[in-house]
Amino acid sequence: MTLRDVEWDACVLEPRHDRELESYVRRELGVLPSAVPYFTASPWLVRSMANLSYYGAPLVHLSYELADLVGLVVSQDNSCRYCYGIQRTVMRVHGLPEARIRQIEQNFLEAEIDPRTKLALDFARRISRAAPLVSASDAQPLRAAGWEPQAIKELAYQAAYNVFMNRLMTTAAIPIAPVERLAEHWALGWIAPFMRLAMRRRWRTGDATPLPPELRGGPWSYLVCALDGLPAARALRAALDGMWDSPLLSRRAKALVFAVVARGLDCPSGQREARVLLEATGLLQSEIEPILTHLGSPALDPIEAAIVPFARGTIRGRPMQLQQRTRALRERLHPEQIVEVLGVCALANAVCRLGVVTQIE
Amino acid sequence: MMRSWLIAAGIAAVAAVLAAALQRSRTSDRRARARLGTTTEELERLSHAFARFAPMELVERVIASGVPTTGERKDVTVLFADLFGFTPLSESVDPSVLVRILNGYFERMARAITAHHGHISTLIGDGILALFGALEANPWQTDDAVRAALAMRAELVAYNVELQASGLPTLRLGIGLHRGSGIAGLVGSPDLMQFTVVGTVVNVAARVQALTREHDVDILITPAVQRALDPRFALRALPPRELKGIAEPVATFAVLEQSSELD
Repeated sequence: MTLRDVEWDACVLEPRHDRELESYVRRELGVLPSAVPYFTASPWLVRSMANLSYYGAPLVHLSYELADLVGLVVSQDNSCRYCYGIQRTVMRVHGLPEARIRQIEQNFLEAEIDPRTKLALDFARRISRAAPLVSASDAQPLRAAGWEPQAIKELAYQAAYNVFMNRLMTTAAIPIAPVERLAEHWALGWIAPFMRLAMRRRWRTGDATPLPPELRGGPWSYLVCALDGLPAARALRAALDGMWDSPLLSRRAKALVFAVVARGLDCPSGQREARVLLEATGLLQSEIEPILTHLGSPALDPIEAAIVPFARGTIRGRPMQLQQRTRALRERLHPEQIVEVLGVCALANAVCRLGVVTQIE
Repeated sequence: MMRSWLIAAGIAAVAAVLAAALQRSRTSDRRARARLGTTTEELERLSHAFARFAPMELVERVIASGVPTTGERKDVTVLFADLFGFTPLSESVDPSVLVRILNGYFERMARAITAHHGHISTLIGDGILALFGALEANPWQTDDAVRAALAMRAELVAYNVELQASGLPTLRLGIGLHRGSGIAGLVGSPDLMQFTVVGTVVNVAARVQALTREHDVDILITPAVQRALDPRFALRALPPRELKGIAEPVATFAVLEQSSELD
């Protein structure tokens, strides 16, 4: 699929510079992605963009090259022109010839890559598509090919992280022109070796230390604990806690987003957790079901009434559709609340698609 | 001396021939690559376009190994729409004008349907068969389908204003909706395939659509749709009617306005 035909709306958010947050991201990633200033209204979100990546949560079992391939395939499948442009640039910097990138883009199942990698990419794409949601049986071909459970979990996490980034960039319609220009720039070939050196210096083997007891509790702990032994577990714990504690939206509104996305993806563990969280905010079971069945209820406040149907729209859809829905949201929420909603929806989409890790033994 | 010149000239000639052959081969290779690239891009574009009308997994399976002959039972909501009095209209206006009117109508209806998570399966003359929950599981398919029907109503009102302003005849629409189980899959002949749903659920939707004329309403739903629908939609119950191929008379509900809470 070529992405140049995919319609992409004008950006929905206004950039706002925040020196402290931008320094944080630059320190973690080595560069400041052009998208960061658009999300600074939500500090947890900006930090999560860096912390959830393989720079913040270093890989233990996967190669960095495979993680990049996962990023390319998932971004392409989600038609996220921003992330796809970034990924193409990164792969060119790492020395992958243009023809090879094109081959993978056109059909990785037919491309000249080893069967183990093909299986991994297919699994990652299934996680992203979630049609239906991936289950343990989908991981069987990987197990048969010798993949260890922890490696499969890390692979699933990489796919989910890309879903998070794709949703975030797409729903906000982050400008793509600079990224796409960079990916095609003639000078990239000349400076790539220097960039490659700088980027690879940041690749380090992750530490497989188990989670300490204080990080084993809290919302969505079933998922965090399923990733125990991977640096991703700590990164996800921090992102979920940051999101949950953020004051820009009520906890009830955030739990509703997760409940809607879990319902749309038919994710049992996500639905159970969201219900527990909703009940903890004072919503009765008898009130929850009509909201989730019809995406609305007189029990919702005006912000929730706007967010609930919006969250459903982020589960699937073409970029332009998602972006038009975000645009419509601008009439009902403050700009910083919109940033927060986009972040919560992106995280909910990633978390619910990651549910498979709880089934892999 | 002469001999050396001849040898040098011979070597130069052979080198020139080799260089020309190499250059030709490179050019030919470049052209072949460019052709291959264009073809692949076309194929990608087609598969991308096709994915709007069939699940992506199915599209990939078709590309990789041909048309699958299996179907899948799915719970779907079917929307069937038809224009009232289209046949007399088609006989009274110029064919080019008629095509323009129809294309404008389809464009607006397609917009209303896709904006509410549905997809158009088939256009039958001026009729539209749209499906909700067929491409992927959709727990909100019934609310979506009724919202799409209301959006189609609003689009038609706006379109009729445009038609009237241009001195053209206005259109009147009837929509029938039913929810049930059907077989989803690629159906057709080797030359003409489409992803659709077959089964009673489609027939009932079409027959309920036909009832809109008898009841003089524009949107009618069956009890199966009404049971799954958000109770905040305003409905009006209508008396049961016999439907061809259905044993018992079927009660229907006219969809009135959407509650402002549902906006």
